[in-house]
Amino acid sequence: MLKYILKRIGYMLAVLLILSIIMFVIYNLVPSDRAYTDAKAEIIRYKNLPQEERDNKFEELYHEYQVLYGTDVDNKIVRYLRWVGLAPYSNGKLNGLLQGNFGYSYQYNKDVVDIIKDPMRNTMFINVFATLLALGITIPLGISCAVKRGKFGDKTMQVVTIIGYSLPTFLIAIVFIWFFCSLFKILPPSGMTTPGRPYADNYWRDLLDRMYYLILPLIVMTFCSLGGMTRYVRASMIEALSMDCIKTARAKGLREKVVVYSHAWRNALIPVVTLVVGWFLGIFSGSIVIEQMFAINGMGNLLYTSLRTQDYDVVMLMQMFYVLMSLLGNLIIDIIYGLVDPRVRVNK
Amino acid sequence: MSEKQNSRNKAGRKNIFVTMGGWIARIFMGASKSAVPNDRELTDEEIRRADVEEIVSPLRQIVRNFWERKYAVVALFLVFAMFLFVFIGPLFMPHYRDAYTEVLQKNIAPTFSMLSVPKELRDDVRSIDSFTSYSVGLSNAGKVYVWGSTKLGATGIDVADIPEEVQNANIKFAAAGADHIIAIGDDGKIYGWGAKNLGQYGRTDETRGFEAAILIPEDLLNNGVDVAHVKKLECGYQCTGILMDDGTLHLWGNLNACANMDRVITYAEAGAKFRDFTFTLNYIVTIREDGSDIYTGQRDLFNLVRSNVTGPAYKLKNYIGSRKIVSCVATSDNICYMLDDNSLCFSGDFAPYALVSVPGLASGEYFTSIRAGAHHYAGLTNQGHVYTWGDNQLGQCDAPKQSKMADAVNVYAGGFQTYAVNGENDITAKWGLRGYLFGTDNKGADIFQRIVNGGKMTMTVGAIAVIISTIIGIIVGCLSGYFGGKVDMVLMRITEIFAAIPFLPFAMILSAIMGRMPFSDNARIVIIMIILGVLSWTGLARLVRGQVLVARENEYVTAAKAMGVKESKIAFKHILPNVISVIIVTLTLDFAGCMLTESGLSYLGFGVPQPHPTWGNMLSGANNLTVMNNFWWQWVFTAIFLAITTICINIVGDALRDVMDPKSKIDR
Repeated sequence: MLKYILKRIGYMLAVLLILSIIMFVIYNLVPSDRAYTDAKAEIIRYKNLPQEERDNKFEELYHEYQVLYGTDVDNKIVRYLRWVGLAPYSNGKLNGLLQGNFGYSYQYNKDVVDIIKDPMRNTMFINVFATLLALGITIPLGISCAVKRGKFGDKTMQVVTIIGYSLPTFLIAIVFIWFFCSLFKILPPSGMTTPGRPYADNYWRDLLDRMYYLILPLIVMTFCSLGGMTRYVRASMIEALSMDCIKTARAKGLREKVVVYSHAWRNALIPVVTLVVGWFLGIFSGSIVIEQMFAINGMGNLLYTSLRTQDYDVVMLMQMFYVLMSLLGNLIIDIIYGLVDPRVRVNK
Repeated sequence: MSEKQNSRNKAGRKNIFVTMGGWIARIFMGASKSAVPNDRELTDEEIRRADVEEIVSPLRQIVRNFWERKYAVVALFLVFAMFLFVFIGPLFMPHYRDAYTEVLQKNIAPTFSMLSVPKELRDDVRSIDSFTSYSVGLSNAGKVYVWGSTKLGATGIDVADIPEEVQNANIKFAAAGADHIIAIGDDGKIYGWGAKNLGQYGRTDETRGFEAAILIPEDLLNNGVDVAHVKKLECGYQCTGILMDDGTLHLWGNLNACANMDRVITYAEAGAKFRDFTFTLNYIVTIREDGSDIYTGQRDLFNLVRSNVTGPAYKLKNYIGSRKIVSCVATSDNICYMLDDNSLCFSGDFAPYALVSVPGLASGEYFTSIRAGAHHYAGLTNQGHVYTWGDNQLGQCDAPKQSKMADAVNVYAGGFQTYAVNGENDITAKWGLRGYLFGTDNKGADIFQRIVNGGKMTMTVGAIAVIISTIIGIIVGCLSGYFGGKVDMVLMRITEIFAAIPFLPFAMILSAIMGRMPFSDNARIVIIMIILGVLSWTGLARLVRGQVLVARENEYVTAAKAMGVKESKIAFKHILPNVISVIIVTLTLDFAGCMLTESGLSYLGFGVPQPHPTWGNMLSGANNLTVMNNFWWQWVFTAIFLAITTICINIVGDALRDVMDPKSKIDR
């Protein structure tokens, strides 16, 4: 088992390495030169100098910034290694991702790491609720659909879920906003708290206020994930219910509840668990569309605004973060698969 | 004998309907079906027997199973209908342009009432005027009628709510602006309704400190005008002018909407007299009292004229020489001057799209009166013929046959409509824009046309992306599954890399970066197709690989190997057909997936760039309570189209999966 896990981790690191190279290449396709921009911004301070001196000063500043950002060499491989933190800058120091230098945001004038903290907290806050809610609804729903397969309720759910996963998120959000905010005017259409946070001094009142603003995004998120997950649970449950052991259990005269929840559900759990794990990792990444639509200051919205404002250092870190999350998800799924289903280990 | 019994009783005589019904059934069911009695009224027992008796090819079995799922058949039919709709629809829209905008047609609700002249007015027309989406008509009895799209955007004002005092008064003049109507009663009193907040009518309490408002002169508001001597009342975008017989000009309105109004007012206050005036969208143009020149207060504005809507332009002074300008009418951005030798000349810009020239007239025929709409002119000749020319984007110039209006003595044009009126004040013909099936968006473009063209774009992007992803997926899956070993290892690691890329963020980043590079819009659209395709093939590759792994253990593959068939040929010719069902199902579901992703990307602004429509970017303005509360048509229709299409494709894909999966038959 350990060997298997080590192997998976090895794969993951290799994939991460390749993806980071791809990311770096794409990032470098953007026609921008930070050192040049900064030097240009700084040279304004020297506008009293005569032209020639100013040009010299500019060259000097430009070079200084290039050294600072590690772009004073044209060799892209060296630049990549510097970015990762494996090759020293011209001043002999290592200052890359591995050393914790994640870049600098021009939009906020802060280190990227500081920017990500708040959105991360918000995203997690929302997604924990959304995930729990969605799982709490979809798993019982999927099971009951599978048990009552072919009945009216199941058929209705099939239609509802197919609608659920056929509609784009933003469309579902629009319809819900229209329903709750335009037609009935009972929920706020966007934002995270009442403007100005009037209850900031009262913790519980403030929390209540935040929850009030969260209701609609939560409903939308849950609804969006309903379709796919319910169908998935239903399918694996049907598979499990058609197993021989279920027939045996029924033949033994076990109660239907015991058959369904104890025997069948255990077997259906294997594929479901992997999906659930993937979901929990989604807690950190957030939904771009929903966060953007509801003006929630989360990870997805941060990526959106950074792309809009061309704040590429933030984008870059976000992207690496997303990749890492998805790789970790794969890794955990693989390991769990290996744990619950020994055939997988042997096969590899 | 009922038809049912008739068909059952095979030995008995068949009537013609049963025979033809059999033919139709054969089209779908195949000939082998005829071995079994007509399928409509079969009992379970007969079905079971038929299943045993007949041998059907797998494909036919699939088709038959699919046909049994009525909802899937309906969905398939809808998908096809949608396909035809978006790919054939654009052929019927010759004037459609992606970048079309029309400031006068913003946010119009679905309506076809723009030509619906009220019944009472139809045979008693005194005048009809229009500037945007509604028209105001005046009967000889002095009654005012308003029709068309009368609700003004999100303001909640409806210009069809004619004030009580106007309804009771005997109105002599009425004119419509972009959002206000001005009328003059027989006692000279000036009435105004509609929007008033930008100086269209009323005193400072209406404008609430809006600085660019030039208010209606207090004297006019209190004492009115001498109605017997009013020569012309005309409304511009948000401004109004009254010209008296003696050449005095009263002007008021929103200075931002009519940039040179203040200069004309100063000029008029200095004692200048005018022969005529007219409003374009942004300016006022006046003609000096002697008709020798125009006055706009701005140097060289509308000073170049041409004899037709195209052709060489000359300086106004040189062109008219000793002739005099009699009158002028203006559309949004060009002006038609009528000279005293009955010839016309034009100044200003003409959009090159759908432009119709001034018709050539027979000798001795000349225009006696010209009216202008928002982009077109209507001219009445001395022989009672009516012609329309100018911009034909919205069908303003599609006039009916001359014979229908041969006795026209008057023509009224405004906005996008033209009305021909005969000697008894009856409307004999009316043509132009009737309205919009799905309304217009916030740029004034027809939503129906954009839905059709946007659907074409959405489906094209989805289809090409899915083709790209399928090709990659099949190749990688086949190679990896068939060859196994190192090839499999390498290809699966590559698949893993691509699968690890988070889809939406990555597509957004790529699209944003492409946006900063000097690509044309079309190139960007192609790039988006490629991005979608290249990022979404991994699932299919894994599926195909799995299927191939199973298939390659089959005897016929061993046989092919033994016969010395080339390996690649075995992979693609002998094994691929066996996995085709998986591919078709994935293709269908991925198609819907790609459409969804494209819409999502375009919705966020990282997909197909505006003004090219797609169903995604058409919805991107909808997340807004103003739009939701006031302009429901701007998102409802697009949303319905998008939803129906993706839902139907998914239903079809789902049904296909059930039908093609041999296991599902056992469960059934």
